[in-house]
Amino acid sequence: MKKPPDIVHGLEEAPPPVVTILSGVQHVGLIAINLVYPLLVFRIAETPTQTVVNLVGAAMLVLAAATLLQALRFGPVGSGFMCPAVFTATYLGPSLIAAKLGGLPLVFGMTVFAGFLEAALAPLLNRLRPIFPPEISGVVIFMIGVSASIAGLRLMLGGEGAPVSSAEWSVATITLATMIILSVWARGMARMLCALVGLAIGYMAAAIAGIFDVAQSDAIDGAAWVDVPQLGQVSWSFDLGLAVPFAIAALAAAMKALGVITICQRTNDAEWVRPDMSSIKRGVLADGAATALSGLAGAVGTSTSASNAGLAAMTGVTSRRIAFAIATILVLLAFVPKLAAVLASMPRAIMMAALLFSMTSVIIQGIQIMSSRLLDARRSLTIAFAIVAGIAVDIFPAIAQATPLAGPLVGSSLVLATVTALGLNLLFRLGVKQKVRLTLAGEATDLETIEGFFAGHGRAWGARPEVIGRAIFGVQQLADVIFENCAPQGPIAIEASFDEFNLDVRVHYQGELLELPDSRPTDQDIRESADGVRRLAGFLVRRNADRARASSLRGRVTIHFHFDH
Amino acid sequence: MELDIRASDGVAVVEPKGRIDSVAAQAFGDRVCALVRAGENRVVIDLANVAYMSSAGFRSLLIVGKTVEQTAGQLALCGVSGEVKRLFDIGGFNELFVICPTRAESVAKVGPAGP
Repeated sequence: MKKPPDIVHGLEEAPPPVVTILSGVQHVGLIAINLVYPLLVFRIAETPTQTVVNLVGAAMLVLAAATLLQALRFGPVGSGFMCPAVFTATYLGPSLIAAKLGGLPLVFGMTVFAGFLEAALAPLLNRLRPIFPPEISGVVIFMIGVSASIAGLRLMLGGEGAPVSSAEWSVATITLATMIILSVWARGMARMLCALVGLAIGYMAAAIAGIFDVAQSDAIDGAAWVDVPQLGQVSWSFDLGLAVPFAIAALAAAMKALGVITICQRTNDAEWVRPDMSSIKRGVLADGAATALSGLAGAVGTSTSASNAGLAAMTGVTSRRIAFAIATILVLLAFVPKLAAVLASMPRAIMMAALLFSMTSVIIQGIQIMSSRLLDARRSLTIAFAIVAGIAVDIFPAIAQATPLAGPLVGSSLVLATVTALGLNLLFRLGVKQKVRLTLAGEATDLETIEGFFAGHGRAWGARPEVIGRAIFGVQQLADVIFENCAPQGPIAIEASFDEFNLDVRVHYQGELLELPDSRPTDQDIRESADGVRRLAGFLVRRNADRARASSLRGRVTIHFHFDH
Repeated sequence: MELDIRASDGVAVVEPKGRIDSVAAQAFGDRVCALVRAGENRVVIDLANVAYMSSAGFRSLLIVGKTVEQTAGQLALCGVSGEVKRLFDIGGFNELFVICPTRAESVAKVGPAGP
């Protein structure tokens, strides 16, 4: 893992204490935005205010434990990244239904079920890898960013709450502009704490503009300064009819965790090539365990936070120590209900600004992952239809009412995009050959033929462009020198086989063995002898591949190139 | 492969386009060497539009370099990027040639007013 130049304090590094504490506060500010999800569920379940205060305290402790579970590696649990947990919109739809049908016990019981299900999916992820190629991770990450951005915009533009005042627009603009200006033009501490400064200035602007409503002010005034959160007043129930929507949400949560941990991997590693499934499996297990714990403690489903992962990337502070600071602050907040109430009362203008800001890097990471592979028509269609399906749900929420049977699928843009991408990927895998052959007869168009062969199959395989480029050069150089210098009798046969980790190319011909020397011939050898050019070709193709071997049996030569993928 | 040759500030700027494979390399080398022997021995070779270069292509470049040296001329390369740059790197050819980032810098380097 190589630290990228944009990262100021990397995963294993220890930032100065001030940076650690303030970064922790900044992340908690972002985490607080998603407190809106349990609060919404509690409101639908008509929960008394005192119970809500207790449950919010318990929720803070759950998030602290979940953040630690993810950062520390307990046995097989935990990705090891600073990847805070938040309450997630993924479970919101099913949780609201459960709240209406069976009150909070059903919400908590189904949340425990979903958490265990997600945890059970974790060990299977490696085997399921062919159906989760990187471009689908890219789609999931992109849709996480888009759906959260739209959720942020909907707070202001959705038309469900009170009309948006010009004061609110001003507060949103001031908050977002502060974050952007500090992120783009500031250096050092100001850049690292851009979101926290933006939130603080947003709160000040909101206070000056008087956009806190009476209920929010009362909630803050009524909260105690210090109190011990009451646990153990929770009960659970289960409804088989809700198993499907919660199971789909659990799958989407696993995909989201996969995507967010991939963001963490990319953010922390300048040489990132593909998702590391080992840390993803551990992370998804921690994610599922956190949701089960949340249900047991009396809260809704949690998930690794894309916006916090995005914030870490934007500020360049990804140190694991920040996770410890976040957990500590969350625990303190659980004992200081007044501060928790301030965060839980965040005005929608500030919420929108914070969500839009933190999601920018998530959207870009999704696009970068999608475009990191060669894409043929099948893969392009998979990506495009998945995105269109997901965005359609956000633009036309009435789809869910129009198709009640598919309700659990079309109720969330992230779920529908994920399921569409997985389904089309499985369908389009039909007919894609992993082992392909080509024969060259020594014609003038051979080099174009080789390029077209590898480029076409590379797109069908979803291979990395750089690896396919190296394979093209290796085989072109080989064909060139064989026909010119190795006296071939008959055609050259090429076999290529691909899986996600390997590209192996075998070239067979009848003729003189091409030597693959370890060192380059001298300049004089290259200029003055045909053998010098031949050995230079052998040297180039050896250096071009990760491994190369040439052998000959009764005049039948086989040259094997291996490329790590 | 196409070969475009033009004069610029007393320098012959040679721009091959396409693939320099074993067949094209011979023609490329012969043509540039003939130019050098005819007195145009301040040469810039712009490889920006070369998609593929074989070992025979590198041989031609080395022969051109030697011919320029024998006539007390100057040779610089430019447009060495992407796949061709990778081949220069893996073949260890970067030290054997003067390589400039742009054509203008190459012309300035080998031109009559150059260093």
